[in-house]
Amino acid sequence: MAEFNRIAGEREMPYMKLDPRTKMVMVICLSSLALIYNTPDRLLLVLAATVGLLLIFRFDPSAIWGYLKPFLSLMLILFVIQCVFTRGGEVLLAVGPVPLITSKGLSIGAGVVLRIVVITAAAMLFTTFSSRDFILGLVQWRVPYELAFMVSIALRFLPVFRDEFINVITAVQLRGVELKKVSWGQKISMYRRLFFPVVYGAMLKAQQLAVAMEARGFRAYPRRTYLRRLNLSSADYVLMLFFTAATLMLIGINFTT
Amino acid sequence: MSFLKLSQVTFFYPRKLKPALTGLNLGLEKDEITAIVGPNGSGKTTLTKLMIGVLQPAEGEIQLEGRPIAGYSLAEIGRRIGYVFQNPDLQLFCSSVAEEVGFGLTNQGCEPATVEEKVDFYLDYFELAAYRNAFPLHLSQGEKQRLAIAAVLANEPEFLILDEPTIGLDAYRKKLLEDYLKKVARLGRGMLLISHDAPFVNRMAERVVTIENGRIQSDSGRKGNAVYEA
Amino acid sequence: MEAVVVQGLTYQYQPGGPFVLKGLDFQVGRGEIVVVTGLSGCGKSTLCFCLSGAIRHNRDGVMAGEVGVNGKNIREMRGASLALEVGMVFQDPDTQLFSPTVEDEIAFAPENLCLPPDRIRETVDHVLDLLGVAALREANPYQLSGGEKQLVALAAVLALDPPVLIVDEVMSQLDAGGRKKVAAVLERLRGMGKTIIAVEHNLEAVAFADRLIVLENGALVRLDRAETLLADRNFMTARRLIC
Repeated sequence: MAEFNRIAGEREMPYMKLDPRTKMVMVICLSSLALIYNTPDRLLLVLAATVGLLLIFRFDPSAIWGYLKPFLSLMLILFVIQCVFTRGGEVLLAVGPVPLITSKGLSIGAGVVLRIVVITAAAMLFTTFSSRDFILGLVQWRVPYELAFMVSIALRFLPVFRDEFINVITAVQLRGVELKKVSWGQKISMYRRLFFPVVYGAMLKAQQLAVAMEARGFRAYPRRTYLRRLNLSSADYVLMLFFTAATLMLIGINFTT
Repeated sequence: MSFLKLSQVTFFYPRKLKPALTGLNLGLEKDEITAIVGPNGSGKTTLTKLMIGVLQPAEGEIQLEGRPIAGYSLAEIGRRIGYVFQNPDLQLFCSSVAEEVGFGLTNQGCEPATVEEKVDFYLDYFELAAYRNAFPLHLSQGEKQRLAIAAVLANEPEFLILDEPTIGLDAYRKKLLEDYLKKVARLGRGMLLISHDAPFVNRMAERVVTIENGRIQSDSGRKGNAVYEA
Repeated sequence: MEAVVVQGLTYQYQPGGPFVLKGLDFQVGRGEIVVVTGLSGCGKSTLCFCLSGAIRHNRDGVMAGEVGVNGKNIREMRGASLALEVGMVFQDPDTQLFSPTVEDEIAFAPENLCLPPDRIRETVDHVLDLLGVAALREANPYQLSGGEKQLVALAAVLALDPPVLIVDEVMSQLDAGGRKKVAAVLERLRGMGKTIIAVEHNLEAVAFADRLIVLENGALVRLDRAETLLADRNFMTARRLIC
């Protein structure tokens, strides 16, 4: 029964199938709004719109947390700095005569944090299409294919290199070295020793990859053909226009009020 | 009590419908050489990664010396089980061949003179002495494979897991490895071999477990005499 | 005409360094399978790199002598002309797979050669079928098992359809079924007039070879018909090729 549920739950659900370029436009629109807005209420609306889109594209929004977690302390520091150093509005907390937290500070601080969250969430839209579609989208927009491949392979190999680093850390521990319990000094000296071989190894691997690509004719001609083509549907055009127009309008309203 | 014991172990890779391993029960002993065989993609490597705590099962439990493996740190597991990965590139991380072989011993606080002696021995045995100061990733595939094995054996763990140790080894080096592993086994240290190299398995293994599609298809049992026909 | 002609080929990874290949001379005919064997570290992979033209990426290395492929000097070929003449499957499948799906991996070469989309699709279908990996079509190459990766790497090079194919231990991680399949594919390619140079340790798996080359410390110590050489147990034992 459990197995049945798992399969039923994972079955493809009908969802919007959009061109990656439409999604790229959406990311640009949402990020622009996030950069221009600076009040928590508006940023919350943009966040809600972003999360709504992610749900439509069947991306689990809780995964955003995983991406934000490493930057949590940084976000907290930003928040505190903004809170304490921005003056204005009501004084919410004071130490004697010195106002410590003001309503404006709190709102700016919250705004900074929300902005980071919105941009991260918007970037998640990129993960809802494959790197192949990313390349096709860029190339069909006349970006040189070498450049499109370079960007896509870099994006694709970031997680691979992260995995390789994790592999090395695992291999070190499996040779009996307790990395979690040693002092910071020892840990740093260990990482320093591993740094060169790991980075050099990654470079060797990148070089071998380039040789393999060329052996299969990469950059043989100034142009190349593609197995697939992306076609913008009318829904894509409508959505791209809608998002661009709405963003421009919202920006206009933001500056006139 | 088995040295390593898997009870009802099931494992899923993220975003995959089909489990990689389903309801596996297996006990490994320290006094025999077990081989796990099966076709490509049947889950052999996944199984060994569960045994050393690199992956965690979705269901079921794995015990090492009677305690759940989740309670051990990787280093504690590594001091009991020597693991040779399938791909040597993933486990070589030092700046020289000699440092690679001595790495575990040095970090476990062995005397430099003892380390030196053991490093010399393993480099000689696996015919790597000429590359002593070479950068490990510059070696040929077969040499990297030998180095990875030497580096794990130098730690002298109680139990060994070798994932496809004969890949990249020529007949002569395979023979050297076989002789050495048999010697290690005679010293009372257990061993698990993952391999599709039928002659190697038949020469080495005392017990053969076949897995297919993530399930155990057959098990010759303790010190059985199963023959593996690839 | 001979498909591959090697004359006085030497190679050093650094100027003044040791010779990894020491004056090799041999020829491989069209529609012939030659297997190169020898103890690890004897120069087999370096030879493959030299024959495929991939060696020029190693900037410090010094190559002397000549390698001719179908009458053309390999040093003078670049990019497309080289890829059209020689296909090479490298030893480590992890460093030659880079696409998000197996289908893309195989389509990569014909796309580079500017084949029209329907021809690319035909090629992909054909190659997937040939190696029996059609079920992996949508899989991520990075997540496959070692043996499956090797099959995909071979498939990706076969999609180039080169007249000369160089394969460096492409069967090392395959199970018996996979090895049989690859051997059958190589034999079929030979039937189509392709020239194949394969590096292989496992001498039990070279029944398909026409001739064998034995390398030792970078020198060619014997080149003979496969049956003759495999039957010469004395030689094989003396060279530690069988134990």
